[in-house]
Amino acid sequence: MAEHKRPKWADWADHIRSLDDPAKNFEKPEALDDLVVLDLSSRSMAGPYCTSLLAELGAETIRVEPPGGDLVRTYSPNGFMHKGTGMAYLQEGRNKYHVTLDLEKEEGREILRNLVGQVDILVETYPTGTLDAWGLGYEDLVKLNPRLIFASITGYGQFGPDSGRKQYDYDNVAQARSGVQYATGEVLPEGKTRDEMPYATSTKAGPWIAWSTAGTFAALGILAALYYREATGEGQALDISTPEAYERLNDYMLHWYADKGVINERFGNLDTCLWLYGFFPTKDGGVFLGGLRLEMWKAFVDIIGKYDEWEADSWTTLAPFMKKDWQLKYQAMINPETVKYTSDELTHKSIDYAKSGRLAPITPVVAEIVAPWKTMQDEVWHDRGVFTPVQDPVYGSILCAQAQWKSTETPPRTKWVCRPVGYDNGFVYLKYLGFGPVKLKELADRGIV
Amino acid sequence: MAAVFKDYVKNKFARPGPLKGVRVLEVCTLLFGPSGPSFLAEMGAEVIKIELPPMGDVTRSLNPFGWFYKEQSPMFMHINPNKYYMALDLHIDLGQQIFKELAAKADIIEFNLRPGVTRRWNIGYEQVKEVNPGIIYIEKNGFGQWGLYAEQDRPSNDGAAQALSGYAWISSFPGRPPLKQAIWICDYYGGLMGEVAVLAALHHRRKTGKGQFIEMSQSENIMRAMSWVWPYQQLAQKGVEPAGNRDQCICPADTFLCKDGLLAAVAAPAPDEFLGLCKAMGKAELAKDPRFADHAVRLQDANALAILKIIADWARTVTADEVENLGKQYGFAATRLHNAVDMNEDPQRRQRGFVKEIDDPLYGRYVEHDFPVMMSKTPPKIKWTVRPVGFDNDFIMTKILGRNQTQLDELYLHGVLGRWKDQQGRRPPPDWDGQSGAIVRR
Repeated sequence: MAEHKRPKWADWADHIRSLDDPAKNFEKPEALDDLVVLDLSSRSMAGPYCTSLLAELGAETIRVEPPGGDLVRTYSPNGFMHKGTGMAYLQEGRNKYHVTLDLEKEEGREILRNLVGQVDILVETYPTGTLDAWGLGYEDLVKLNPRLIFASITGYGQFGPDSGRKQYDYDNVAQARSGVQYATGEVLPEGKTRDEMPYATSTKAGPWIAWSTAGTFAALGILAALYYREATGEGQALDISTPEAYERLNDYMLHWYADKGVINERFGNLDTCLWLYGFFPTKDGGVFLGGLRLEMWKAFVDIIGKYDEWEADSWTTLAPFMKKDWQLKYQAMINPETVKYTSDELTHKSIDYAKSGRLAPITPVVAEIVAPWKTMQDEVWHDRGVFTPVQDPVYGSILCAQAQWKSTETPPRTKWVCRPVGYDNGFVYLKYLGFGPVKLKELADRGIV
Repeated sequence: MAAVFKDYVKNKFARPGPLKGVRVLEVCTLLFGPSGPSFLAEMGAEVIKIELPPMGDVTRSLNPFGWFYKEQSPMFMHINPNKYYMALDLHIDLGQQIFKELAAKADIIEFNLRPGVTRRWNIGYEQVKEVNPGIIYIEKNGFGQWGLYAEQDRPSNDGAAQALSGYAWISSFPGRPPLKQAIWICDYYGGLMGEVAVLAALHHRRKTGKGQFIEMSQSENIMRAMSWVWPYQQLAQKGVEPAGNRDQCICPADTFLCKDGLLAAVAAPAPDEFLGLCKAMGKAELAKDPRFADHAVRLQDANALAILKIIADWARTVTADEVENLGKQYGFAATRLHNAVDMNEDPQRRQRGFVKEIDDPLYGRYVEHDFPVMMSKTPPKIKWTVRPVGFDNDFIMTKILGRNQTQLDELYLHGVLGRWKDQQGRRPPPDWDGQSGAIVRR
């Protein structure tokens, strides 16, 4: 690759970096360090993800697990464990204090009530009605703490005809219920059967995106409720249903059917709404190509040397290219051109075109479709602080994705990645309830903690 | 908890949203930018969407296979509800000055431009901070404000983030090419996460009076949501590969083809759930099989594939609805795959008010998804949809900046304020009566 020549605005980049470089995160204050959060999540990663967001911002977050630990600690590919913890929880235990408490016993519930009087936020993911049956529902707890913000993340919500279902919330089931999975996936060619091509079917996203989305909406709702509480002193109950949260990130499918009776179907690696917009093959893999303005599409056609042959000069609008038959026609024309190059060659053709192409500085988006293994090796992300390992006292040096944004004043940060089951019983129960070693041993002997 | 949500939908409009009193300026286009401020608008913030006249947001042109709703992009409608629409030319001095006057009275400002552009327009963070030290100012884009990719001026969008993060790579079936999502997940999810950053900053400002500058890259944001992928790769020294509809970390959890040709998703990792599933299949003895004895053992690839095969064979003997009902009965997670028909007709979505009709003065009655967090004291809600370019200029300029008609006419004359081009998506819908929806009517 040619040596990088810094842009005219490089002083801006340097200035912003001097203000928000994650390397300086620990010199800065924390936005939520005045708050205490109780995380009662069970089996769902939406809850831990939500409380990770709050804990990364400095909230003192107490994760309450049953004495054996929550099932989420076992979530891991091929059952792979590191010091007894699965890979998923090694990400989402971050910055939390871990205590155990048996909520199925009345004595455990009484201890929880004493904690509730001292916290600001509670997050839970039990099937609707579970906490009510234990006398720990919102109506019970609000009497102890009217300022409490109580967020429930469930599969079926706190009200509505399906809310009586006693099933736990899982990401793959939520993805299936959202309508998104239905419309994503390879198209089954005509004349082929599903047994011949079992992969040409509705396909969910690999990551736990429904859980992450529900957890993020919950965090957003909690922060908005906090804003209201600081003005009025009133807490409240929040109800997030995971499939609904993910479905909200859907766009036109609902309206299209309502207006035209059209069910949005799979369209493979093209896009029902956009052109130029899709994945295309290259000599060594594939790239994403994007050009949502006519000039960007023309610039791409220029890059592959078809500007004159395809008469790009005469195109005046992108509109016809968005139709299904045109998309398929041009896809078939583009594929043989993109496979002449490697992904890297095409990427740099686009970068160079921005400097010297006939339509410069306009250029299409070209991005190599990489394996996450390659993402993790990319120096640019390391330079940006995305993969800075956490030096954890229990788990060692752990590489995890750092927080989602950078900021000048109160950036989120990761202090530790996880803690073993019950690791913080001593600290938390002493700090909040005055339980010393003798009392804790008594409780442990009876199976309460 | 049902009691606190009794009559929630009926009384939704009896209380304000939680962000009442918060003012937001947005200079955003496409999806990653505008989706975030919309979430604030749905929670009751006053959001002023500033577009460049006369064309405005590019999304106004986008559509699924040529379908527009009353000439408007259905995508644009979904992304931009509850906002006030202003068209201000930020390329010229007077436009920049007006922006700063508004900025002095705002709490939050959001941009999605290439790095350095806001400064060139004299409305960068440092310049706005001079008139409003408490401002919370966020810039969202592909690669952030610094770093090699940003400095290469690489354009980006949702698909690029899906590609570069590895998200697409692990979202197809094994041995198949990477798969793009049918939704613009990195845009929408990034927009959502940006508001977590903004509201956390708002809490800090309440305590200290200090504002801040926030930057977000859409690729970096989605990487954080890829969770277990990173420590697994580090500790196992092995790249993560796609697994189709199977959840690689939970077993059993997969989507199965049923007797009726429909699909059903099932998850049953906990002992009670797994036993329930085995009983539902009429094979209770499987719960005692040493290969499936507990979740950790079951997750080992050979065992996982074995149990998934058993479930797949069984699924072909029952309908998808039967699988869902057995899940209810035996206590494991199960659902038939939903599509746009379910979105529209499902009583759960309707009775929760998650899917509802909007009654809009310009676009009439149409169906929309509401905000997915139900808040017992401060219900968020969508009230109206999008507006033509510059539709609310007069209202904003009068209400916030006190400009009179003569001054406004002057600003229009000099092209500082603008209105829509006479073109699809920019102008009012064809059946508009010339008055409806306009807050200030001349």
